[in-house]
Amino acid sequence: MSKTVLVELSDALADAAELAGQSTVLVNARRRMPASGIIFAPDLVLTAEHIIEKDEDITVVLADGTEVAAKVAGRDAGSDLAVLKLERAAGTVAEVTKNPARLGQIALALARPSREGIEASLGTVSAIGGPVQTRRGGMLERYYRTDSISYPGFSGGPLVAADGTILGLNTSGLSNGAAITIPADFAWSTAEILARHGQIKRGYLGIRSQTVDLPAASQDALQRKQAAGLLIMSVEKNSPASKGGLIVGDILVAVAGSPIFHHDELFARLNGDVVGKATPIEILRGGQPQTMNIVIGERE
Amino acid sequence: MNFNGTFTQVIDELVQQVMPSLVVVRGRRFGAGAGIAWDANGLILTNNHVVGRHSPIVLLQDDREYDSKLVARDPDVDLALLSIDATDLTPLRPASVSPRVGEMVFAFGHPWGQRNTVTRGIVSALVYAQNRRGEKLPIVRSDASLAPGNSGGPLVNAKCEVIGINAMIVGGDQSVSIAASVATDFVRKAIAKSALSAKTPHPTPNDVI
Repeated sequence: MSKTVLVELSDALADAAELAGQSTVLVNARRRMPASGIIFAPDLVLTAEHIIEKDEDITVVLADGTEVAAKVAGRDAGSDLAVLKLERAAGTVAEVTKNPARLGQIALALARPSREGIEASLGTVSAIGGPVQTRRGGMLERYYRTDSISYPGFSGGPLVAADGTILGLNTSGLSNGAAITIPADFAWSTAEILARHGQIKRGYLGIRSQTVDLPAASQDALQRKQAAGLLIMSVEKNSPASKGGLIVGDILVAVAGSPIFHHDELFARLNGDVVGKATPIEILRGGQPQTMNIVIGERE
Repeated sequence: MNFNGTFTQVIDELVQQVMPSLVVVRGRRFGAGAGIAWDANGLILTNNHVVGRHSPIVLLQDDREYDSKLVARDPDVDLALLSIDATDLTPLRPASVSPRVGEMVFAFGHPWGQRNTVTRGIVSALVYAQNRRGEKLPIVRSDASLAPGNSGGPLVNAKCEVIGINAMIVGGDQSVSIAASVATDFVRKAIAKSALSAKTPHPTPNDVI
């Protein structure tokens, strides 16, 4: 019998589950049921931060059933990502997709919630959202939602494209228990920082602000089209902002060259590399653009 | 890749191929479930819990109605084999290879009494449930949605082969089906046993040495 298009698709999905299943592991780090993780380097597993409820006796079960001891190498509640270091290099490193997810594409939510094997649920990418501030104080530039079913233990597992490559990491820890997917590019770059530094530094400026429309004259002065900026309403004493010379009434329009329209963008821009470094902050003062270098503080 | 028509056509063909084998199994006192024509000569496979205390009525796709005879039942695998007085049934074929996680599945049945419903999903997990005898029962879990009335109906793969018998014996939020291997095993033993008991009271001349 020749293969119908349905059999082709069915085989492709099973192949994708099998391939990505090689790098999908069980993570034993909480009292209740275990969750999942993704092997992103020979001895490193990326998982969801909220499923790690203990620091000791963490184990990871690989695709071949072997159990390996692991330690927390880094964790960040804000993005709900954590990196575990395995006692020994093991398993197959996951292959990340080259193309970002597209609305409507089919995808498998994959997990290894038990020693009985991988589990999967089929869905389509039903929304691509962001930037959004997470409830745990982080910032997601982008996230995916799918209509796949997130069964218990699916947090930390991959969202898999039809070719078996990985689109992102699924977690129910960021939006009230509903599952979202953290895109692979963000998850992987965060994982590298976590593996190296153990945490993500979050910047602190020390201002309160409000979004205001920029009049045409101000946009002319900026020599670019930017409809809004952040009007500084107050500056905290001894904060990086006050030390750097920002005053009430300034309109903040860019950080390190990226235009800022909204508080969420400022929040996103102050994370990671800029912390502790002199960073160019562009403002409008008296309608005229001005750039000052301010050393970004670290938020506790 | 060898395309045989469009995607929609292929799914339609699959549904048309399964439907003649799908029956309604109506208990005398309880609600109805589904069943599968297992061979042309009147064998119907369904869930044990659909059958109830008395032999149920079997309703075919062409609306013919039969009183059935209970051939065998086993609450520990939640399967029952019925026999009706028909010789022109269209049976379904059990899959010859094990299912794979991720492959596409279609569940057929009569959820909440809605006749001839199809739901789509994939194999979510291949696991074991423990029955009351403490035996491990292979289970196919899928993300196809099932409801009461799907019980006893087939879960088929993209090749139109039965990979499971839909059941709701272990609860939880996933749809479960009893693996086809359990069903074929159950039917084989049931037939062997009934052939044996049929022989004992009325030995045919062939059996006399």
